[in-house]
Amino acid sequence: MSNIIGIVNYGIAGNIHSIEKAIKAAGGQTLVINKPEQFNEVDKLVLPGVGSFKDAMQELENDNFLEPLRNNTKPILGICLGMQILSTVGFEYGTTQGLDFITAEVKPMQVDAKVPHVGFNTIDVVNNNEVLNDLEDEEFYFMHSYEVVNYTEIATLTNYANHKFVSSVKKGNIYGVQFHPEKSREAGIKLFKNFINLKGEK
Amino acid sequence: MNTRIIVKLDVKPPYVVKPVHFEGLRKMGIPSEMAKKYYDQGADEVMYVDIVSSLYQRDIIFEEIEKTANELFIPFGVGGAVRTVDDFSKLFHIGADKVAINTFAVQEEPDIINKAAQIFGNQAVVVNIEAKKWDNYWECYTDCGRIRSGKDVLEWAKEVEQRGAGEILLQSVDADGRNRGFDLELCKKVVELVDIPVVVSSGAGSLEDIKEVIEYAKPSGVAIASLLHYDKCTIKDIKEYLRKNNIEVSR
Repeated sequence: MSNIIGIVNYGIAGNIHSIEKAIKAAGGQTLVINKPEQFNEVDKLVLPGVGSFKDAMQELENDNFLEPLRNNTKPILGICLGMQILSTVGFEYGTTQGLDFITAEVKPMQVDAKVPHVGFNTIDVVNNNEVLNDLEDEEFYFMHSYEVVNYTEIATLTNYANHKFVSSVKKGNIYGVQFHPEKSREAGIKLFKNFINLKGEK
Repeated sequence: MNTRIIVKLDVKPPYVVKPVHFEGLRKMGIPSEMAKKYYDQGADEVMYVDIVSSLYQRDIIFEEIEKTANELFIPFGVGGAVRTVDDFSKLFHIGADKVAINTFAVQEEPDIINKAAQIFGNQAVVVNIEAKKWDNYWECYTDCGRIRSGKDVLEWAKEVEQRGAGEILLQSVDADGRNRGFDLELCKKVVELVDIPVVVSSGAGSLEDIKEVIEYAKPSGVAIASLLHYDKCTIKDIKEYLRKNNIEVSR
């Protein structure tokens, strides 16, 4: 069985390069998805994060990626903004509908500390999540100003300046991480390994 | 909250150099090799600054930047001679996570900060401030501490935050490369003034200097160059020392 990880390429900026590099370091095979029909050529999807919630949804629409994403049944890993747009609605530069895979809202972080939240931080497991297997005690790199507000699909929480926010979600075969595994040393590569090793079924 | 320990590579392509007081360069090594070494030691981030291209009005040299990015699975910032949105875009595409801008924004078009932040997100835009101390204020310098701008550092720091910068890299023209400690007042003032993260640089001559600036100014991160480049200590030594002194750092 093939096991190709498709990296959805949308928008003009991108950490596509870093994600591709990390997946390769994890022993995976990648395909950068530039056209809607390429969704059929891959077994799993990584949705990277670039720019703002509003721009991201706009770019997905411009690239005709919304339909293949909404119809998708393959495992998805959303990273940073890529996790945020899995939510129902986002409030960055106005109100924007998200992909609505996870019942959640994306709001500015309200903390008594510097925002964006930048740096390595730990995770507290709330619910089991295969992509985080054996990574419970690791640190991951965060860089974000908004957070996903969700009450049902929380996989982990992270504490920033005494504020606990959702640092990863899971619903069926949909996974989202607020941090950047591609920037989280060996722990991040291990996360991609876990994602590569996931069984394909829903 | 962890204070980030960042390695700064001052580059005069193709070498990492160590400017003393922003003048007089000493060759220290190849950027990609040094970055790899510090990654293995546990650096939280690497900041690559081309310190000559802006002054000589040369274009950015992408090759070594890409090579360096390829060695790292931690955040990688790049600065030096950035002038256009296209420069930002190219740097992100070859593996930069953040791009730092100074001269062009200060001397010619501050609006580039707004433009870049809107396109790439605030977190990806770093403004590099080179501060020179005068009797009762600090002045922004550009082109690696050579050119005066007439701009007040504190006013500029507030302005770049409003324009959408996601981080400030704060350097001191006076303290840089002298290994005699940070300009503590400068660091504290800027950290307290803005709500975005401030990474302080310039002046770390000992582990005590790093501890002192963290305790006094509470920056989000400290960028270190000579102390590491001269093998006076490793990232591991720094983190162990800080931890022993009750300063939180990542593993």
